[in-house]
Amino acid sequence: MIEVKKVNKSFTLFNQNNAKITVFKNLNFEVNPGEIVALKGPSGIGKSSILKMIYGSYIIDKGAIIINNKNIATLSAQEILKLRKTSIGYVSQFLKVIPRISALDVIMEPLLNSGDNKNNAYKKSIKLLKDLNIEKNLWHLSPLTFSGGEQQRINIARGFIKDLPYLLLDEPTASLDSRNRDIIINLIKAKSNRGVSIIGIFHDEYSRKKLNVREIDLNIETKH
Amino acid sequence: MIIPLLKVTNLSKSYDNIVGCKNISMSLYPGEVLGIVGESGSGKTTLINCLSGNLEPDRGKIIFNINNKETDFLNISESEKRKFIRTDLAFVHQNPRDGLRLNVSAGGNIGEKLMSVGYRHYGNIRSLATKWMNKVEIDKSRIDDLPITFSGGMLQRLQIAKNLITSPNVIFMDEPTGGLDVSVQARVLDLIRSLVNELNLTVIIVSHDLAVIRLLADKMIVMKNGTVIESGLSDQVLEDPQQEYTQLLVSSVLHV
Repeated sequence: MIEVKKVNKSFTLFNQNNAKITVFKNLNFEVNPGEIVALKGPSGIGKSSILKMIYGSYIIDKGAIIINNKNIATLSAQEILKLRKTSIGYVSQFLKVIPRISALDVIMEPLLNSGDNKNNAYKKSIKLLKDLNIEKNLWHLSPLTFSGGEQQRINIARGFIKDLPYLLLDEPTASLDSRNRDIIINLIKAKSNRGVSIIGIFHDEYSRKKLNVREIDLNIETKH
Repeated sequence: MIIPLLKVTNLSKSYDNIVGCKNISMSLYPGEVLGIVGESGSGKTTLINCLSGNLEPDRGKIIFNINNKETDFLNISESEKRKFIRTDLAFVHQNPRDGLRLNVSAGGNIGEKLMSVGYRHYGNIRSLATKWMNKVEIDKSRIDDLPITFSGGMLQRLQIAKNLITSPNVIFMDEPTGGLDVSVQARVLDLIRSLVNELNLTVIIVSHDLAVIRLLADKMIVMKNGTVIESGLSDQVLEDPQQEYTQLLVSSVLHV
């Protein structure tokens, strides 16, 4: 379960006349195992910021985010690294990888980093590449040369390859055609059926409906 | 409770009246990659030179804990310190020419390092050297060539092989991709990253290139005027910087 309790977040832009932007005040919600929560609201309201705070990429100014009985707001850097490795999958909006590394290696990396053997990691990754409908002739190429939709699927594969209890999805279906969107939706459903707590940002009504999400409207939840 | 592999407390070093680094405290855990960023003159190199034994700090504590054996780095005898540096630490210089002997063959450069930690059997040394040349993607037929016949990227890869071959516990890298062509940079970065993952290396890397830090480092510290002004997870410091100077650094990066 993920619990977001009385969270405040603001940004101070020192180089722009110390402008202070308040994103949330007193944000509260929770996500149960097997549940898919969709964050809703216009762009700029802080949907991605919530995912980043849960993942530890953004500082939590005030309040608590509890995962595995641990409060992200007070964990040290190495405790967050460990929690990410053992518990949290994160699919960012854009793929960030080193040039030259093949798609297959990009996907295998999280498994190898957690001590999985090469053969096992290879088999799992190949299966996922097939499930995601990525053509075989691309597997050994760097995903930086791929189309937007293909990159997005590699990014998803990297986030989905491990069995982790929490998943954070930042527009996972954004740049996909309808067929590939359905493939991703089914993968997300499968995760959810296995009890994974999922928080996502889904730009389209179709995905939200198919996934049977519980919506959290940030326009209502965050009183500025 | 995991014990840090390296614990630094209140480390200071000045050059006459000029501050090199001041009151630096930090911890590094096994398998972590720590990035150090900051402008020229901010104390990055002074700091890693103190940590790697190239410079004697004025004050502070440096404790290494390797395989449950604690080493009080600034309070051991000179001979113990030399041995520790030889077997447990490695230093990859920005300019590979500083870390290699150019009038000794590529294989000789690697072999020398092995001999310094006790290897004596020529056949073993040569086969290990060949294996490592292969690992860093240098054709093994070049093993008897002098490094002066190598390109910049090859030299840097040779220096990395020389440093990693003895399985050191902490590896210091000072701008390892700094002097390289952009196309070669990616290759060296890719190499460093795959070796870090494969061998579970603990690395301290200095770079002024935030993209390098983002791709390689788990944690980072930002230095200014000899002090650490911000530290944390790399993605957190880069995406949600809390200090004015860090915000300036991050917002000054040009995106292609």
